[in-house]
Amino acid sequence: MAMTKSQRRRLMKTIRYAVLTVWAIIAAFPIYWMVATSFKPDNQWFSWPPVYFPDPPTLDNYRNVWLGAQQYAVTQYAISSQKPLVSLWNSTVIATTSTFLSVLFGSILAYGVSRYRILSEARMFQLLMLRMIPPIVVVAPLSLYYSAIGLLDSRTGLIIVYFLTTLPYAVWMTKSFIDEVPREVEQAAEILGASRWRTVFEIVLPLIRSGLVATFLFILILTWSEYLLALILTKTQVTTLPIELSKYQGSTEGRVYGRQAALAVGITIPLMIVGLIIRKHLARGFSFGMVRR
Amino acid sequence: MARIELLNLHKSFGAVQAVKNLTLNIEDCEFVVLVGPSGCGKTTTLRMIAGFEDPTSGEIRIDGRVVNDLEPRDRGLGMVFQSHALFPHKNVAQNIEFGLRMKKMPSEERVKRVREVAEMVRITHLLDKMPGQCSGGESQRVALARTLVTNPSTFLLDEPLSSLDAKLRRELRAECDRLHAELRRTFIYVTHDQEEAMTLADRIAVMRVGEVVQIGSPMEIYSNPVNQFVADFFGSPSMNLLPGEVVHENGIARFRSIRFELPLPEQFKAARPGAGTLGIRPEHVGVNLGSGGAIELPVRLVEPLGKETLLYFDAGADRTFVAVSAGLKMVDVKVGAPVALSFDPRRLYLFDTDGQRVNV
Repeated sequence: MAMTKSQRRRLMKTIRYAVLTVWAIIAAFPIYWMVATSFKPDNQWFSWPPVYFPDPPTLDNYRNVWLGAQQYAVTQYAISSQKPLVSLWNSTVIATTSTFLSVLFGSILAYGVSRYRILSEARMFQLLMLRMIPPIVVVAPLSLYYSAIGLLDSRTGLIIVYFLTTLPYAVWMTKSFIDEVPREVEQAAEILGASRWRTVFEIVLPLIRSGLVATFLFILILTWSEYLLALILTKTQVTTLPIELSKYQGSTEGRVYGRQAALAVGITIPLMIVGLIIRKHLARGFSFGMVRR
Repeated sequence: MARIELLNLHKSFGAVQAVKNLTLNIEDCEFVVLVGPSGCGKTTTLRMIAGFEDPTSGEIRIDGRVVNDLEPRDRGLGMVFQSHALFPHKNVAQNIEFGLRMKKMPSEERVKRVREVAEMVRITHLLDKMPGQCSGGESQRVALARTLVTNPSTFLLDEPLSSLDAKLRRELRAECDRLHAELRRTFIYVTHDQEEAMTLADRIAVMRVGEVVQIGSPMEIYSNPVNQFVADFFGSPSMNLLPGEVVHENGIARFRSIRFELPLPEQFKAARPGAGTLGIRPEHVGVNLGSGGAIELPVRLVEPLGKETLLYFDAGADRTFVAVSAGLKMVDVKVGAPVALSFDPRRLYLFDTDGQRVNV
């Protein structure tokens, strides 16, 4: 018997949701496993059959990793002499400073590109092409430079390199937002007596606020989780969270999955908090259309 | 006080010449409308006066002073944009206040001025709203208020009403007229709408492909167009233009077209024989049922508009020939019925092959 239109529609909807649900479970499972493991006592990390729900859930892993509550299976040698809290502080300072610089200078550059065409389309593309060079190929010469000028293993060194490597993204993203601001709005401000800087700071930047926030988060994610450059350009003085995390993988004394998971959760949470705080802007920033034409 | 002079103004964008050798003097307190089809250079001209475009050559003077090198903010002008260009993140009061803040006017005085101007354009009820909450007509009033408040010597208006519907357009047109009369300031208004130009202007400058083709009062432009382009551009419905040729027979000049032939009135006695175009406005065509006119044509379409009725004919031209009959007298004419058309001889226009008017 042929299905009616509404029956067919309902069936399609069911199939669609079934497929999406299966896919969502596959995609989200590693994240769930990370969170669950972080709450598991030592004997459940590897147990077979696997334990899906920590029983009983424990905060020991968090206490060990973040507070250094007791000596655990990872030696002082394998783990940096710094506590993860110090790495958290390093990551916070390095990622936010470099991201802030990148968005600030990127948007000003983008304004010039958008309004004065200081860079042609070809040049703009070349700017992005710079990002296509694999970082690993420049890491060796860069670390030579850095050791020569004393920036190796310093926060400033990482801030500079993150700022420069993310600048092309910042220019590209903010330019697309600035392009959306009608020239006439700026010209209206100009003829009413505003200087160029005044127009940029009082009219243009507030109008693309959501775009700036979206750009900020995008670049913050990049710098927060950057691993390769940090690995080569820092030694023992400055350690960022991704480096800290990797040390658990390289441990010679067995894999301490519970601690690693607790650290991983800790790395993820700050970004999620930032995302939640600015979610209003994100939705707007990624579908930019707030300027009424 | 603001007398604006444009001297031999040129503007090119690459290979495209947007404005060519434009010279125009605008007197203090005059309302001048730059009108023409899109791409004729009228907006570019306005933007050069405002300072948003640099002329390729030529001079712009305000009260005798050359302002080519002055920034827009130093020219003492106010501009209303086609898109209204309100600041979307500021409320209406903040939008209006912006120019006063840039002038560093004290806060209490600003509030007072904003209120005065809002009353003048009747938007006091909108002051706390965001531009996004205002309708098109309201936005336009806010844009006007924002310009008014800085008390500029000259108002530049770039198609300010083109985004509004017909009724609002008429309403705000009257508003512009009232403001001009009240403020006694120079107004330069750009539009592609001939009706707007006719109703608002003290003088109209008709532009075409970067050049001014005619400057004059609305009535001058309407009744005395210098060429076929101007004749065709003004008036609704447009002037009837009939291609044909001028011939001289027994000392009498006659006009011969595909569908008819008629003697030309006295003023065209000396017209050179050869191809030409005869023009007559629809309202100057007499219509009568049956015979007795200069020519007789069957009706193709009858359009009753209420206060008048439009009758369409096929006169052998590219466009249908239109006649206007007052009231509903001709409303019952059947399609295909012959109608006698007579032309008021004083209202006939003759154009040569270049489109130039053949003068008396």
